[in-house]
Amino acid sequence: MSEGIVEGFLSGLHRSPRRGFSVEFAEHRMYQPGDELRYVDWKMLGRSDRLYVKQYEEETNLRAMIVCDASRSMAWSGAPGVVLPKLAYAQRLIASLSLILLRQRDATGLIVFDDEVRHVTPPRARAAHWRQLLGTLASTKPGQGTAAAPALKRVVDTLRRRGLVVFVSDLLLDRDLALAALRFLRHRGHQVVVLHLMDPAEVTLSGPAEARFEDPETGTSVVLRPRDWAEAYDRTVRGAVSDWNAACRRSGIRYHRIVTDTPFGHALRVVLADSSA
Amino acid sequence: MTFLHPWLLAGLLAAGVPLLLHLVQRREPPTVVFPAVRYLLDATREHQRRLRIRHWLLLLLRTLLVVALVLAAAGPTVRRTGVTGHAPSALVLVLDNSLSSAAVVGGTPRLAQLVRAADGVLARATPGDAVWLLLADGAARRGDPAALRGALHDLRPSTTRLDLGRAVQAADEVLAGESLPGEIVVVSDLQASALGAAAARAPVTVARPEGAVPPNVGVAEVAAGAQPWSTDGGQVQVQVVGDSGAQAPLSLTAGDRPARQALATVGGRVQVAIPGAPAGWYALRATIQPDELRLDDQRVLGLRMAPLARASCAPAGRFAEAACDVLRANGRLLPGDDIALGGFGASASVVLPPADPASLGAVNRELERRGVAWHFGDPAPAGATDSSSILPPARLFRRLRLLPSGSGRTGVLMTAGGEPWLVRSGSVLLLGSRLDTAWTALPFQAEFVPFIDVLLNRLARGEVASLEVAAGAAATVPDLVSAAVKGSQRWPLEGGGLFAPPDTGLYFLVRGTDTVGALASNPDPRESMLQQASDAQVRALWRGATVVPLDEAASAAFAAGARGDLRGPLLWLALVLALAEVGLASVWGRRT
Repeated sequence: MSEGIVEGFLSGLHRSPRRGFSVEFAEHRMYQPGDELRYVDWKMLGRSDRLYVKQYEEETNLRAMIVCDASRSMAWSGAPGVVLPKLAYAQRLIASLSLILLRQRDATGLIVFDDEVRHVTPPRARAAHWRQLLGTLASTKPGQGTAAAPALKRVVDTLRRRGLVVFVSDLLLDRDLALAALRFLRHRGHQVVVLHLMDPAEVTLSGPAEARFEDPETGTSVVLRPRDWAEAYDRTVRGAVSDWNAACRRSGIRYHRIVTDTPFGHALRVVLADSSA
Repeated sequence: MTFLHPWLLAGLLAAGVPLLLHLVQRREPPTVVFPAVRYLLDATREHQRRLRIRHWLLLLLRTLLVVALVLAAAGPTVRRTGVTGHAPSALVLVLDNSLSSAAVVGGTPRLAQLVRAADGVLARATPGDAVWLLLADGAARRGDPAALRGALHDLRPSTTRLDLGRAVQAADEVLAGESLPGEIVVVSDLQASALGAAAARAPVTVARPEGAVPPNVGVAEVAAGAQPWSTDGGQVQVQVVGDSGAQAPLSLTAGDRPARQALATVGGRVQVAIPGAPAGWYALRATIQPDELRLDDQRVLGLRMAPLARASCAPAGRFAEAACDVLRANGRLLPGDDIALGGFGASASVVLPPADPASLGAVNRELERRGVAWHFGDPAPAGATDSSSILPPARLFRRLRLLPSGSGRTGVLMTAGGEPWLVRSGSVLLLGSRLDTAWTALPFQAEFVPFIDVLLNRLARGEVASLEVAAGAAATVPDLVSAAVKGSQRWPLEGGGLFAPPDTGLYFLVRGTDTVGALASNPDPRESMLQQASDAQVRALWRGATVVPLDEAASAAFAAGARGDLRGPLLWLALVLALAEVGLASVWGRRT
């Protein structure tokens, strides 16, 4: 599915990975007149009696790290069967994004966390690496709580040079700790993009005449009538989004709110436009 | 503060409904998993206090709304202060001038006491009031107070009975169409037998006389049995009712014949023999000694004495013949040919369908020859006779339709299935069925012999029964009758129509110059019972009624106008509360 999304999305976008002569071997090709002799693979000539030149990936390509929130709240959908749970949406979005990055020869890694770091896949640029990422994503099960700071700090260990950090979460976490970690990454020179996933049912409050609303992660609950509180809730959500946006902007962090009924192509376009800026 | 319908205050229990709903709604609601609870908490934290105030305000408004509506329904009134007289009111004055009001108490007619009290009520009326006077005839007359007071002075005791419950109900219906605050004032001797239940919306004030009522005895019933009597006389049963168990001397006279004396026990019946007299109609009067209520001391009945019918019954079959033998043996019938039962006689005839269908044409031709307006038709389905005063329903196995020869359809005495079964035309009676068990089950019934008696002694001779009707009521006169006569007065009537005797007494029903019946109009025997209802009985039957002595009637009247009605302000308050509730529930609800 992610390949389909990306194929459709990439038409018209920059698609050619620039092959050059760098330190990281990419592939062989037949020698052509004009090629520098230093890149001729003499061992291949000895084995096959044919002239091949070695090609290398450019070292200047992007190194990206995607940090995915797999907490219990991410497994929720306000309309099961109609709208994907946030985690499923995140999985498809990350799969698509990583495929795009890998096709551009950008090394892409993945960190999955809930109340602790669950998986760490270091960034690689090989085409086969995408299958590994997919495997990691597919095996991701929702955890319990959300602890983003340790996961973001692990990024520092895996991205030694400046790179791109994409943080995918519903941001139902400790805001101050998460922001501090994101600022730290930014301080280290990384380009940071926050993708705030929200279910449509989290945007607009609805439900029975009166209900006890219970947080699946903390068990915290509140009894109220949705009809009475819809407007106040809407204002609070808009305020929270606005706060996140402002806090990120102040730190040079890109922030995008994505509602999970948004087409993937649209979400990808927003993210990539931002990362290429 | 007083209430027009204080029992409705029980509805105040409904004021607890909002609180109950509030408590019921506090039950555990369904749980919804919702990750963004932190946003809900943030949202509610700010408005929780305001919401709680709103909930309590809504609860208060709803409770007050229910209380205001219940109070308004109970009709609260408060006495106006600083205002003389009364506000314009609608008042129906029920003045009980029924027969019992003719009783003399302490040397004064009861009606005079009642009229004096009623006059005091009307004297308080102002030109702005709408006033009605409702008397024993049941009609509510509207007029200006002065005119109604004038009418009071000419008022006489009526011979009719007044059901006070119906009168109050009628008065309430009169007031229902009035916008002014209404009330009903009943001025009555409060006879217990006249008191009926009523559910009036307007307040009712009852003015009643105080003190003991005089003992009274009246003639309740005079029964002469089957008529006509033979000229040999007969027996009369008289019932006397009253408040005492004493014996009352009774006198019975038939026309101007010498009176027969007897001693009647109050509450019992006495049988008095009336000697024979020449054939004719007599006014039979049962009279007791005068007492405090004179109007019920005499009762009258039409009595017909006539020679016994001379009839031949053989052609009608063995069952009719057997019945005639019984009548002859009991002195109700004589052998002779004046009346032919089952065939054509020289004078009166009771014609039955022929046993042989082949003879039907000959019978019909004979009927036509004699100028009879009816003839026999085709067979009709089996059924039963319709109920009538002549005969209770009897099963019919066979019958022939009786068809009018002309366009008219007069002379129908009995029907079966809605079709004529016994008709009269001149001196000829036609019966739709033979008096035979193959045609009808009547010969098996106990009513068979009395039916033959009535057929021969009364119907065949063109006479109707002696009728009786309560004073003030109307009776349906037989179709033979063309006028009612009492003394020198004559009321032309249409046969089969209604006739309401204008007064008590005996009215002879005539056809041309022949007397064919009598209609007696007598007082309702319940009027003879002068015992008064207690105040508790009045309040039980008329909820919320105020009972006052006669001399306080005037001051108690127009209470509705002297009191402020709080229903309007309470309804306005309820409206304001309802609007406030809607506003609070919707507008403020959107702000939260």
